[in-house]
Amino acid sequence: MSSEVSQNLEQDAVLRASIDRSLRHPVMFFLTSGAAWLAVSIILGVISSAKVHSPGFLDGCGWLTYGRTQAAHVNALIYGWGFQAAFGVIVWMLSRLSRQECRASGIILTAGHVWNFGVSIGILGILAGYGTGMPWMEFPSFCWPVLLLSYFAIVVWSLVQFKVRPEGHVYISQWYLMAAMIWFPWVFITANVLLHVIPGNPVMAAGINAWYKSSLIFLFFTPVALGTAFYLVPKVSGRPIFSYSLAQFGFWALAVIMPWAGMQKLTGAPIPYFIPYLGAAATIMFFVPAFSAAVNILRTAIADPELVNHSPTLRFTMAGVIGLIVMAVAAVFLNIPGKTLEFTQFSMSGYGFEILAIYGFFSFVMFGAIYFIVPRVTRREWLSRRLIKWHFFLSVYGIVFIAVIAIFGGVQQGIGQEAFDQPWSEAAQRAFPYAVFITFVWFFIMLSNVFFFLHLTVMWLRLGRRSTHPTLLVSGHHGSPHGEDGDIDDAGSIAASAH
Amino acid sequence: MSFRTFILCLSASFGVAWLAIVIVPYFKMRMLEPVAVEDGDGTNAVYIPKRAGRIADGAEVYAANGCYQCHSQLIRPTYAGNDMFRPDWGGIAGDEDRGDTRRETNAFDFQGEKFAPIGVSRLGTDLSNLGRRVEAIYAKGGDPKKWLYAHLYNPRWRPERRESTCPSFRFLFDVVEVKGNPSEDGLDFPVNEGMEIVPKPEARALVSYLLSLKKDQPVPSSLNFAPPTAAATAAP
Repeated sequence: MSSEVSQNLEQDAVLRASIDRSLRHPVMFFLTSGAAWLAVSIILGVISSAKVHSPGFLDGCGWLTYGRTQAAHVNALIYGWGFQAAFGVIVWMLSRLSRQECRASGIILTAGHVWNFGVSIGILGILAGYGTGMPWMEFPSFCWPVLLLSYFAIVVWSLVQFKVRPEGHVYISQWYLMAAMIWFPWVFITANVLLHVIPGNPVMAAGINAWYKSSLIFLFFTPVALGTAFYLVPKVSGRPIFSYSLAQFGFWALAVIMPWAGMQKLTGAPIPYFIPYLGAAATIMFFVPAFSAAVNILRTAIADPELVNHSPTLRFTMAGVIGLIVMAVAAVFLNIPGKTLEFTQFSMSGYGFEILAIYGFFSFVMFGAIYFIVPRVTRREWLSRRLIKWHFFLSVYGIVFIAVIAIFGGVQQGIGQEAFDQPWSEAAQRAFPYAVFITFVWFFIMLSNVFFFLHLTVMWLRLGRRSTHPTLLVSGHHGSPHGEDGDIDDAGSIAASAH
Repeated sequence: MSFRTFILCLSASFGVAWLAIVIVPYFKMRMLEPVAVEDGDGTNAVYIPKRAGRIADGAEVYAANGCYQCHSQLIRPTYAGNDMFRPDWGGIAGDEDRGDTRRETNAFDFQGEKFAPIGVSRLGTDLSNLGRRVEAIYAKGGDPKKWLYAHLYNPRWRPERRESTCPSFRFLFDVVEVKGNPSEDGLDFPVNEGMEIVPKPEARALVSYLLSLKKDQPVPSSLNFAPPTAAATAAP
């Protein structure tokens, strides 16, 4: 009996190792090029946020004017970093969850290069002055078919793997990731075809653009991050998730509520009156799927607080889940029609909220996943605990500033805007300190990602530690719970079972 | 739950919202029904919004340079914000000929544009009525085009605007040699002897577009939600 179990364990370990090996190149490509785009986005973010309070900075050059760098910064963050991190994680995680090697890694890698090409052309197009002027869709209009086709070539293999998987339970992460993979092209095709191919009423077009932005956050980045967190936390802590039915409830709450969100950005615009109110209501109700998932994940992890503190994966993932809670609170607070919505509709809280969602929640979970996945696909351990710690703390400082901007800055600025008996410069002055804050945010995040990018590049070059032990954030050299350290390339099946 | 049921439930939960707030409103608003104007003599006139200028290519320059990042173009009704109360946003509170011309943005206002630049944030003012504002207030008695060229070239040039955070759009202008008579659109900023600063075609299109932003024309009563007294004074 026991020999049968150990043989099964060994087969499992070999299967996992062969899945990891089959995906090494595409996954590392997505993660490293994603991190490079994150760096590009942050640099553009520093430049554009400095221009908000110091308009003379890098002045007078068309390529670097605020309207273009800001658009390029946001688009690089979404399509360069966000989507590529998501691709790396989706492709790897769904292979693991359907227990099959990836047989299309060459095609995925090629499609990944095409995606990068599309993003590069798009960013250069924006900076050169060919942007479309539709927020989050500023890429010149020939870019979207390129992105769409390469998207399908990247994710379709995961669907095929799911279809031919060995029978068995479908785990909640698979639900979230598959749903995100289906929602995204639906949203993307709808928005791009309506806005680029079938011109309609310009105001309704702006409404669809607002819905597109909101759908990317709530129907792509959120489910990808939640699916990832639901995978990582039980995996690292070795415990089943706290309540499986709560997880299912959270998933369907997300699926039913979030497609209605987004158009509250157009409150008061000449589109049918009910639409902005539905959008505000749905965005406020984001707290239902958000809290049910967050409570579930936190309850699973909190049983072992020391592990959360020591494991880089759990530490980042938990910070991301706390980011999710802050984001859900902000979604309620910022979108109450007749109370706060009129203040926040055209204030910097919109940008703050987007960055809170993409960096404070999604990216943190992605960092957690990267700290988990990269050692497995490269068979090398992270070099330096200190680099990971610096990445974590500086990112957290950035996030705190973002939350302040989203929640207080936007409202303060909005109060100035709404004070119609005061001159406009009053509102501009109220925005000023928070504009300085945004520069601080990107400064901290830039520092933190210098550490991250360096570390990841070293790992990509396979210069990591050849260790059989996971990297834990413990100081000193006291004994490891995994026994004596060994060289992963000599250790054979023992090393594989440690993963 | 089988994969088929999963996809079905997913499509249903998403599809309902997709149809209700995206597809149906979009296609219903593609062809707006004409709005009748009551002109008192019984003819069935239809409201035709008026707009003049290089709207399509000017809007492209506006979009490409990201003006929408800081400027909105939406005068919200009073239930959604206080835009209507600003004296020069929705129209001119004390227009010399027409009285109070302020009104909300309506669905016809973006005629000629592909995408309404509603705007991301208001770090700058709302531009719905910039054209009217420049003509009636900022450049009163002067040339509104020249005022806008100078403003785009250096937004902090005028003492009362020294704290503006609007970027300079110097790159939309050329410094050229004066040949014969100086250009009538030449800027008054100091420049080397024999040279002048003239707007590039992009700047010309942009300024023409900005001057077309006059969303305060009289509208039929079915689109006008101003109190009746204000409407009465606004009537010709």
